Amino acid sequence: MERAKDNVWTTGDLLGCLERREQFFLFDVRNREDFERFRIEGREHLRAVNVPYFEMLELGGQDDMVDSVVAYVEQHMANRPTHDLPILSVCAKGDTSEYVSQGLRRLGYASTNLKGGMKAWGSHYATRAVLKSAELELYQVSRPARGCLSYVVASAGKALVIDPLRHLHPYLDLARSEGFAIERVIDTHGHADHISGGPALASMTGASYHLHPYDAIHPIDVLPATISYEPIRDGQIFSVGRHEIEAVHIPGHTLGLVALRLEDRYLWTGDSIFIRSIARPDLGGKAETWAPLHVRSLRKLLGLPGRMIVLPGHFSNLDEADDKGIFTASLDDLKQRNEGLLVLQRESEDGFVRHLLESLPKFIPEYLDIKRINAGLLAADEDDASALELGKNACALSQAYKPSSGETP
Amino acid sequence: MSQSFDKLLDARGLNCPMPLVNARKEISRIEPGQVLKVIATDRGSVADFQGWAKIAKNVELLAQERESVDGASVYAHYVKRTT
Repeated sequence: MERAKDNVWTTGDLLGCLERREQFFLFDVRNREDFERFRIEGREHLRAVNVPYFEMLELGGQDDMVDSVVAYVEQHMANRPTHDLPILSVCAKGDTSEYVSQGLRRLGYASTNLKGGMKAWGSHYATRAVLKSAELELYQVSRPARGCLSYVVASAGKALVIDPLRHLHPYLDLARSEGFAIERVIDTHGHADHISGGPALASMTGASYHLHPYDAIHPIDVLPATISYEPIRDGQIFSVGRHEIEAVHIPGHTLGLVALRLEDRYLWTGDSIFIRSIARPDLGGKAETWAPLHVRSLRKLLGLPGRMIVLPGHFSNLDEADDKGIFTASLDDLKQRNEGLLVLQRESEDGFVRHLLESLPKFIPEYLDIKRINAGLLAADEDDASALELGKNACALSQAYKPSSGETP
Repeated sequence: MSQSFDKLLDARGLNCPMPLVNARKEISRIEPGQVLKVIATDRGSVADFQGWAKIAKNVELLAQERESVDGASVYAHYVKRTT
């Protein structure tokens, strides 16, 4: 394996390895809480061990970090990694794991360090072309560690951005390299799991920013947003170059959620239908009253032409992508294999509401502040933002999040 | 009321793992019963000092505070050498 000879992987190298299903052993030296909350996950099970670096330092007992790593692995590690796989050392920011990687190499392991650590991995973006034709270009911009998806639609030199994520460089770089002007920015809903890049991208590019007015009220605080936005209404048409995109109000995950459809071809579902699963209805704190709305909205989407290509707002596992690394499937295809839609198609409305309420994952307390930031009710610096956004999104029903596996020594 | 201490370790600007590596060295240089105050700018030091104090047999983490030093906010860790 060529990569294993390198002493450092970038987050791009890591994504490539995960997508190609290359085998490596993950050596994560952060504290156990951070490892439990957010770890590198691949398309299939990754062999992993979590040993906090401060345990290696204390139990290894040397003044020098590298010496401590060597002493710890030799004297205290019961389940030592075998030498048949390269080891990727990972920490929060990529500094400590470099010492760990050096120690492992001294012990004869093929060890590499993840540059920038989990902070860099959490902020890694990948841009993939879904369609590139003369009349229409469509890109999926993903943040793989978080399972967040956003989109750029371009036609005749004009572009519309859907659900831009917090860091703006992927959109600005794409607009520059492909030569289009960002005219409109749409948030399909007020996000809870990540900080929207929408208002900032709009103000930076001079684009208009659109949000459904129901999501301009924080559902828990019941306070109006202070951000500036143009209200989306059901059925509203947005033009982008030679094409038109229509908003379809589908309340449920939030009260102001809209799907977007480009003719009978593409359907941006936001947080409603994902590839393997469907969205949860409880992040506004009103699961019982919102769940029936969610059911009716999902049924409305199922009534659209089956050949439409679904472009979701999230994924839960990297293996939901196609062989080009793109998260998409036709509506007909999803009716046959999406776990939530399979239940929806065989249950009554009441039965499906019960299914929803029985499938709610743990509520993430950070989501309240993220919604406040998105509404302009709270400010966050880079450190705060990155701490709030730590880990994979939890916007789907619990079936989407299979129990994680990982060994501790 | 702020904690009293016997020795100050300035780990401002140092990246992980150096605040903890240096704190371990300083702990071995003070007497049992004395308190080392570590000031650091790395946010991750908060959880790391907690984890370290749990596993190290000769230290007790007395307190962790946000303090203002030279007009900037820092993380202060008060570590007592017990034996």
